[in-house]
Parts: sequence; C-alpha cells; structure tokens
Amino acid sequence: MKVNTKTWLKLALILVSCLCLYLFLRNDAFLYQQPIGKVVAVKQAAPEKTTDVYNNSDETTQQTLTLEILNGKYRGQSFKVNNTYSRSGGLDQKYHLGQQIFVNIHEHRGQKDIVISHYKRDVYLIMLSWAVVVLLYLTMQFQGIRSLLSVILNFVLFLLIVQVDVFLNLTNFFWLFAIAALLFTALSLALVIGLNKQFSVTFLAIFLGTTSALVIGCLVLYFTKSKGVHYEALDFATQSPKQLFLAATVIGLLGAVMDAATDIVSTLFEMKRSQPELTKQQLFKSGQVIGRSVMGPLVNVLLLIFFAETFAMSVLYFKTGNSIAYTFEWTMALGIVQALISGIGIVLTVPLASFLSAQFLGGK
Amino acid sequence: MSAISILTLILAGLMLLVGGKAGLTAFFSAVFNFVILFITVILITGGLPPVWVAFFAGVCILAITIYMGNKDEKTANIAFKATLIVLIVMLILIIPLDHFAQIKGFANEQSEEIEAFDLLVGVNFEQLIIATTVLSTLGAIAEAAIAVASGLNELIEQRPTITLPEVFKSGKTIGFQIMGMTFNTLFFGMFGSDLALFILLYKLEAGFSYYLNSKIFVKECLAVLCSAIAVILVIWITTYLVGKKLNEKRAQIDK
Repeated sequence: MKVNTKTWLKLALILVSCLCLYLFLRNDAFLYQQPIGKVVAVKQAAPEKTTDVYNNSDETTQQTLTLEILNGKYRGQSFKVNNTYSRSGGLDQKYHLGQQIFVNIHEHRGQKDIVISHYKRDVYLIMLSWAVVVLLYLTMQFQGIRSLLSVILNFVLFLLIVQVDVFLNLTNFFWLFAIAALLFTALSLALVIGLNKQFSVTFLAIFLGTTSALVIGCLVLYFTKSKGVHYEALDFATQSPKQLFLAATVIGLLGAVMDAATDIVSTLFEMKRSQPELTKQQLFKSGQVIGRSVMGPLVNVLLLIFFAETFAMSVLYFKTGNSIAYTFEWTMALGIVQALISGIGIVLTVPLASFLSAQFLGGK
Repeated sequence: MSAISILTLILAGLMLLVGGKAGLTAFFSAVFNFVILFITVILITGGLPPVWVAFFAGVCILAITIYMGNKDEKTANIAFKATLIVLIVMLILIIPLDHFAQIKGFANEQSEEIEAFDLLVGVNFEQLIIATTVLSTLGAIAEAAIAVASGLNELIEQRPTITLPEVFKSGKTIGFQIMGMTFNTLFFGMFGSDLALFILLYKLEAGFSYYLNSKIFVKECLAVLCSAIAVILVIWITTYLVGKKLNEKRAQIDK
C-alpha cells in the first residue's frame, strides 16, 4: 500500500466536503425569501383513533409546535402553530425538534397569522446529489463525471422544451415533444459516440424504431377506441391528456431504445473493424444475437419504472373498496400501455439497427 | 378486445419473431415480473409490511430477470449475487433517507386526484415509498450487472492469462460504457413519465426554492439519484466478484 497518504487525503477531503455542505445547508435559511421556522418545542396531544367505512383503522394526533423564525423580517420571533398528522401519513407528517419548516405569515390588523407551508428538504436532495458525484469520481475519476454531463445537458434541454411548450401553448403540442425527442437523441449520441458514420446509423435506427412503435401504438389505440385506457387518469394533466400521454411515452422509451441501438451498432462496427471479411448476412445475424440478449432486460427496466410509480395510488384504490379490475384500469393501465409501446419500440429497434449497420458496412 | 391485450399480443408476436425462443422467454419474464408486482400491491393492501414485501418481491424479480434472460449460468450467478448485495445496501440507504426527507404519500399538487379519497387508510406510506424506490431501480441494476459480468467473463475466456488488475481495469471501462447509457435509460424513463408534472410546475411559476424543497420534485429526483447510486454500486460489486472468482479458481489450479 504505497498510495496511503494520497488515499487518506482524498477520503478526508470527501468527508470534510460532506460535513461543510451539510452544515451550510442546515443554516442556509438566509438564502430564502419565504420565512423558515425551526421547531424549538413540541407538545403532543393524545392520539385519536379513526375507522373509515371500509374498516381501515388509523390514528390522528395533534401537535402544537413552537417555531423560531430563522430569516426575514420576523427573524428571532417565536410562533405557535398546530399540526395534525396521521399514522399512515398520506398527506401529512409529524414534526420533530430541530426540524425546519417553510411557513407563511400574514399580518391582519396587528394579528400575526402563521400557516405551515412545507418541510425543508433541500439538505437531503443536495447531499444525495453530492454523494452521486463523489461516487462517480471514486469509481472512474473525471471520466465518470463526464457521463453525468449527457444527463445534465438533456435535463436542461428538457426544461427548455417545457418552457417553450407552456409559452407557445400549442393545440398539437405532441409534435413539439416529438422534435424534442429527436434533439435529445442527437445530443446524447453525439456525446457518447461523437459525430461520425456510426452516429448516423444509430440515429436512423432509433428514429425508425421509435416512430414505428408509436404508429403501432396509435393505430391500436385508435381501432380499439382506447378501450380500457383512461387518459383522464393521467396525473397533473394541464393540457390535452391524450397528447401528453403520447409525448411522455416517446420520451420514456427513448432511453431504452437508445441503449439497445447503440449496443448493437457499436458492436457491429467494432466487429467489422477487427474482421473486415464479414458479410452483410453475418453482420445482420450477429446484430440479432446481441439484440436478443439486451431486449429482455430493457423491457423489464421500463416495466419496473412505469409500474412502481403507480404503487401509492393503487394501494389507496384497493383500500377504499375498489375492485381489482377498476383499480387496474384507473391507476395501472396507462403505465402498462406505456411499457408495452416502449417494449415494441425496443424489439423493433433490434432488426432495424442490425439491418442498417449491415447495409452500411456492406461487404459481399 | 381492449387496447392492452392487443398491444400485449403484438409485443409477444414481435419478441417471438425477432428473438425466437429466447425472445419468448424474455416476454414471459416481463409477464412474471408484472404478476409479482401486482401481487406485491395486493399483499401491501392486505396489511403486510411494505418494506419486507418489496424485499422478497425484489429477490424474485431479480432472479426472474437474470436467470430467464441469461443462458450462461456462471454469468447469471455472479450477476444475481451482485444485485442481491446492492438490493440490501440500497434498502439500508433508502430507509433513513426517505425518513428524513419525508417524501411519503401524496403531494399537494396531486390533491385533485385524491380529493375523492379519505386518506386515513392505515397504510404506512413511508414504507410504501421505500418499496417503490427500491423496486423501480431493480431493472436497471439487473441489466448493468449482466452486462458487466458477461463482458468480463468473455474477456477472461479470450485471454486466460489476464491479471487481476487488468480485470478491474476492464470492469471500469465496460462499466463506464454501460453507465452512460443506463443513466440515459433511467433519466428518460423517469422524467418521461413526469412530463405532465414538469409542465404543471412550470405553469405554477415555481421558483428555485420550490424545486429544492417541494415534496413531489424532491421525490422524483431522489428516485433518479438512488437509481444512479445503485447502478454505480452494482458495476463495482460485479467487477469485484468476477475478480474474486477468478482468484479462487487460480488458487485451486495452483494447488
């Protein structure tokens, strides 16, 4: 072990940076405009048992919090505020000593009225982001941090597109996100494989795979008149839910299709480089073999992402006496349709990517 | 027929057409995973502790995804072991994290969807969000573990004299290639399904402070970050396990 001092230094640096960040975030109230209160005393009332019509038993408790305001013009003043929380905590939470809470204070004829707004969570979000950066650095130094770059750039682009969408307020805003999807693909591929012939082949495969999956999806939805699919069930919909759903599907399946296409195309290019005598047919066949092994896991990745998100809502539906079929239709169906269309996209990309690379790389 | 059954049939047909028998196996692994997730929801509704249900469901999902998607048993064994370790590490990380960050249940922005419900249903929503976060990362870690393990095993077969540091170095290179793409898959998968949320947040003219602290945004971000950590860990652990196996094998031959 000769790198001892260096390793220790690195470790110390990481620990110190984490500690500094934590201390800063615990005391960053001065950066916010909204008043933040720190819980300095808690008085608990006796819990009350409740039972609803479906025989679900729960408990609600009222607590009186004494908050000391940390910032703004009320800084240093103490306020008393009531908070009711339940044992299950669907929409509420119990507060503990030392926690910081955003509050709204209204002054009305000399009377100050205080309402709890939301809990301060920035500490955990930023600490965890820092942990990801540190882990990436530890595993693969600066190269690792570079792989975050594509995600960060895509995220910025994503926010910009959302901004454009809200600004333009188009009726057919699906097309805006379709174009955005093309941009996302181009950006990610350019960062991963650079701008070359391989880029064009991969891009074409992704484009064709995604488009054909979407066309198939739309045709099925059209001919079945979307039977069993309720677009109204889409959370947070502020625009036409059907288009929003399709736009979300395109973006959702993009990552997985990109994964499959790059895997196949880059391996085939590499094969042709080391064995120039390979024929079109051989290349196509090898592409299919690679595709077969990535297809299954990728479909499962998306299934798990789309399904796990519906957990809280499905449990709530079941607990309030809804039947299995009804719960499925209203909470899970949209996620399943998304996973299915994405799956079709992934599978179609396999022969497309193999065929395009084989054609392009040629041979006899 | 409903849209879902027709789409399922199309997917099954295409997988059979493109992948042959392997394709059909892959299709059924997705179907089994769906059934397990559905049973998970029902068991949690029935009152069993969500974290434990998610843990057992997670083990089943990993076994199905890895063993049904992979013929090479040596690769599958290592990938399964690595993902199990990561599953446990992630549970240990996520349980305190979700407790401190308080991202359980529903957010105020969802009030429209839940206003018809009485929320006092006696389910532990904090455990439920832990279950959700853990389960949603499993697909990605299974995929990464298989890719690293099969890549390294192939390398060892091609060059039987490869040294241990070289194995670790190749693990890093393969891991790096996979990671970029897996991050993209996770990112698009998760933010794609949050598209409506982002539009809503933008319409609410949410400020920076809102993004850093609101329940719904922090919840979605923590899910992505946890998946990223899980993928990094699984690449690490899989590489280490392949190296360890190689060492053991060589020690045996030396005797």
